[in-house]
Amino acid sequence: MKPMPRQVILGVVAGLIVSVWAFPVLWALLTSFKTERDVLAYPPVFVFTPTLANYREVLFGPASILPNLRSSLVVTCSATALTMAFAIPAAYALARLRYPFKRFSGFYVLVTQMLPPVGLVIPYYLALQRLGALDTYSGMITIYLTFSLPFAIWLMVSYFEDVPYEMEEAALLDHAGRWGALWHVVLPQVRGGIAVTTVFVFLNAWNEFMFAVVLGGNTVRPVTVGMFNFISVEQTQWAKVAAGAMVAMAPVILLGLLAQKHIVKGLTVGAVKGGGRR
Amino acid sequence: MNESPVNGPQFDDERRGFLGKAAALGVAGLGSAGWMGAAHAQVSDLAPYTRARINWKQVEGESITVSVIPASYFDNLLELLPQFEVLTGVKVRAEKVPPGQIRQKSMLDLSSKTATYATSATDPMYYPLYVANKWVEPLDKYLNDATLTDAAWYNYNDILKAWRDADSVDGKPYGIPFDGEVTVQVYRKDLYAAKGLKPADTYDQLLANARDLNDPANRVFGLAMRGFAGAGQNMYLYPSLFRGFGGNWFQGKDLVVNSPEAVRALDWYVSALTQFAPPAVRNWNWPDIADAFSQGTLACYLDAHSSAAVINNPEKSKVVGKIAYARWPRGPAGKRVTSIWNWGFPINAALSERAKKATWLFIMWATAAETQARTSWKFAGAAKRSGLNRMSLWKSPEFSSAMQGAGDNFINAALESLEQDTDVEWRPRVPQWPAIGDTMATAIQAALVGQKKSKDALDEAQARIAQIMRS
Amino acid sequence: MAHSPVAVIDTQAQQERRFALALFAPAFVLLLLITTAPLVFLAWNSLQKLDMSMPWLSGFAGLGNYTKMGSDPRFWNSFTLTVIYTSSTVVLQVIIGLSLALLVLQIPRGQALLRVAAILPIVLAPVVVGLFWRTLVLAPDFGLVDLVTRALGLGSHNWLGDPQLALISVIAIHTWQWTPFAFLVLLATLATLPPDVYEAARLDRASAWQRFWHITLPLIRAAVVMVVILRTMTALSAFAAIFAATGGGPGTSTEILNLYAYRTSFTELNIGYGSALAMVLLTLTAFVSWLLFRRRSSPA
Repeated sequence: MKPMPRQVILGVVAGLIVSVWAFPVLWALLTSFKTERDVLAYPPVFVFTPTLANYREVLFGPASILPNLRSSLVVTCSATALTMAFAIPAAYALARLRYPFKRFSGFYVLVTQMLPPVGLVIPYYLALQRLGALDTYSGMITIYLTFSLPFAIWLMVSYFEDVPYEMEEAALLDHAGRWGALWHVVLPQVRGGIAVTTVFVFLNAWNEFMFAVVLGGNTVRPVTVGMFNFISVEQTQWAKVAAGAMVAMAPVILLGLLAQKHIVKGLTVGAVKGGGRR
Repeated sequence: MNESPVNGPQFDDERRGFLGKAAALGVAGLGSAGWMGAAHAQVSDLAPYTRARINWKQVEGESITVSVIPASYFDNLLELLPQFEVLTGVKVRAEKVPPGQIRQKSMLDLSSKTATYATSATDPMYYPLYVANKWVEPLDKYLNDATLTDAAWYNYNDILKAWRDADSVDGKPYGIPFDGEVTVQVYRKDLYAAKGLKPADTYDQLLANARDLNDPANRVFGLAMRGFAGAGQNMYLYPSLFRGFGGNWFQGKDLVVNSPEAVRALDWYVSALTQFAPPAVRNWNWPDIADAFSQGTLACYLDAHSSAAVINNPEKSKVVGKIAYARWPRGPAGKRVTSIWNWGFPINAALSERAKKATWLFIMWATAAETQARTSWKFAGAAKRSGLNRMSLWKSPEFSSAMQGAGDNFINAALESLEQDTDVEWRPRVPQWPAIGDTMATAIQAALVGQKKSKDALDEAQARIAQIMRS
Repeated sequence: MAHSPVAVIDTQAQQERRFALALFAPAFVLLLLITTAPLVFLAWNSLQKLDMSMPWLSGFAGLGNYTKMGSDPRFWNSFTLTVIYTSSTVVLQVIIGLSLALLVLQIPRGQALLRVAAILPIVLAPVVVGLFWRTLVLAPDFGLVDLVTRALGLGSHNWLGDPQLALISVIAIHTWQWTPFAFLVLLATLATLPPDVYEAARLDRASAWQRFWHITLPLIRAAVVMVVILRTMTALSAFAAIFAATGGGPGTSTEILNLYAYRTSFTELNIGYGSALAMVLLTLTAFVSWLLFRRRSSPA
């Protein structure tokens, strides 16, 4: 049995470190309930009369970010769904199967992940404009795919590689057929990986800023852009920005909480068991 | 509304949820009085506009998109858009783009001739660039066209001359100023009175005042100016100092930024801020300065007069009623130099002829005396504009009474600055301005944070600028 | 058997190929379509003299932009900063994440709460993180960090306004946001390690450090490498947070290559040179990834 004090010390140290992480977010949360006056108070106040005015303004005021939330939801959900639909099969092929030009195409997928957004904004703008797809959902979702898809493929490849090959072999010998093997045997094994990948793909898309601001407009205005409604040239309304940020974070946190179980399972990578690239 | 791809039952649920909420909000919105009601009430009163002897409805049915930055002066205008639509039958879509991105978005649109934005709120320093590329229309064509402009009614010359000049290139107007500002001294009259100080008349007095009131131990600092690196941030105050020291941007045809006056001005700026400003000033933009002042941390600052709205906001400010304004102090060369900043509207040259006319009608409407008044003292909401574009409005009694709460000497200080202290050569008006502004801003901040000596920073900037101008 | 063994294998191989292509092609074709054209356009632009503020100068420049880069001190500055920034933050993330994971493993009860707290920084949009840190946390006088350092007697500093401190600050911001990822992944991996291996080691009277170095580390190697790869790619393309926090300043002290390319293209409007910078960044990223991948594929 470990002596109690050691556990306590460990707990305290861990708690300290974790508070470093959580504090800025909690501070922002606190700020979102303050009046603008309290935000600028010095020394910073921890005890104050909270107000819901900021949330009311952010959600229902003239510069409400509800339309932005809706926009973000549509773009992000669609992009995520499409990404996973394409990425999962592709990743399985890369991880397990043999086919011509595999090495080259695998490398290409990797390279596309590294394309710097800075260099791509202008080409994308011009391309979308020519197709009449600026400030449209289909246009924006397609652009989001460019960074989501390689990332998702890549992440899923490592999860597929963890599945012991023997399982597939067994299924094949059972005359399950390749599709059957994939669907009934392999996929359930990587459920956790799918959950993790989905969450991170969603997150990346949700938080995207540069493409959102340049390629979007009145119709497609994700919440990262909407937050700037409160950062006008004249003043920054920090309490409202904080409230806006909290509202913007909420869907992702919700998603994370719901998928928690799967995520925990799925974060295990390169486990001791076999499997590996062919 | 807009199309969105259908993606299965789960997403429909989310959309339904939102639609429900939106419906509820809509009902709540209809039920509330307030600004919406006022705007509608004014719709019926279009007499001030219909008096103009032009056919407002000549391009009825056109549809244009306008981009602006999030700012209360544009918000006020956007709320009045229904009036414009009733007046002309032209539909206007407004888009708010963050100020950090609006120039890029406009330029992407203009340079690729995609005609997405009929007009955008434009930085006057960009007109030389736009004109060199032939991206915007010369507006004298529209001003002189009797079917489009009733000259007597519109009274173009009533618009502040300095701003008109700022939006013109080689004498031709390319944009019409909508909202602008002047930089002035803003100070705590109570603190000054307690020490028997008067608002500074020369740069030395400014420093003396700052020294007297500088009390870091009690968190009161004597002076602040923008420090954040940016063409519209620290490079917004520095030119005034530069010209105040007698500097000239051009020597012959060459742009020179490291002349002795330039170094002196930069040295003055660096030492003033190092001695009397809060250390955070190096990263401050004007909202930060206004915030600090409103919390009582600053005794004096030099910045835009429109910051009055922030420091007089009873929700945030602790110094309401203790504020006074004055013109810029005189520099060693004897000049007071204020900014000629304004947000103006040009016309995108890539539009169709009808759309151009519709855009002109919009610009004319927005910058007309009546609309300016309606977004200022006649506005039903809380924020009344203070950056009006016409001299007649600045001198009107209604404007005076609307701005009464701003502080002592507000209108006088601003008006005198507008009339006497503006300087068209305040910043170099060349197409390469974006690169130059950015280079200078970096140099100024490098000197401010002590990374380089003023002379070295400016020499480096000069080298880079010479390359930019040459290449 | 009716068929000869060789023929059976051939058909199987063919089947596999068809299956593979059916799975892989859609994603690959899609990617090809939407990324090749912009990539080619970017490369083409980098070979041009394309300056929006001086349109009369446009023309083909060949490798002119690249040679110009060689003698551009600001480029080398941004290159060095990129290397420093990326390596510092990735190393910090792995070390802190791993240490914390090892620590937390021994506290079974608090784990759930800690995991939730760890998720918070990751879900915030980087642009918001940059803004918040700039004003609420790092601002001298008003900010949280300043409050703490003053309480600890370390005085007030201009965290984002001082050239040296600014670089440290932005590294801190990035590390703050992404260490939880390393933490979560490594924690989950550590949790799956079989405890009997440790028992054997303890019986052998190996010290805690020896146990860690010789047993734990090799077992989690794959996870660590994957974390390093992912975090490196993120660090190389970090943009929004630094942009919001310092804009590349003060001066150019936090202007990593990404930001330099952005400023050149969008603020100075020199699209040709900016594209060249972006191409260099792309090459750098590709090279680093290739290096890391080789380590990944080498046998444990």
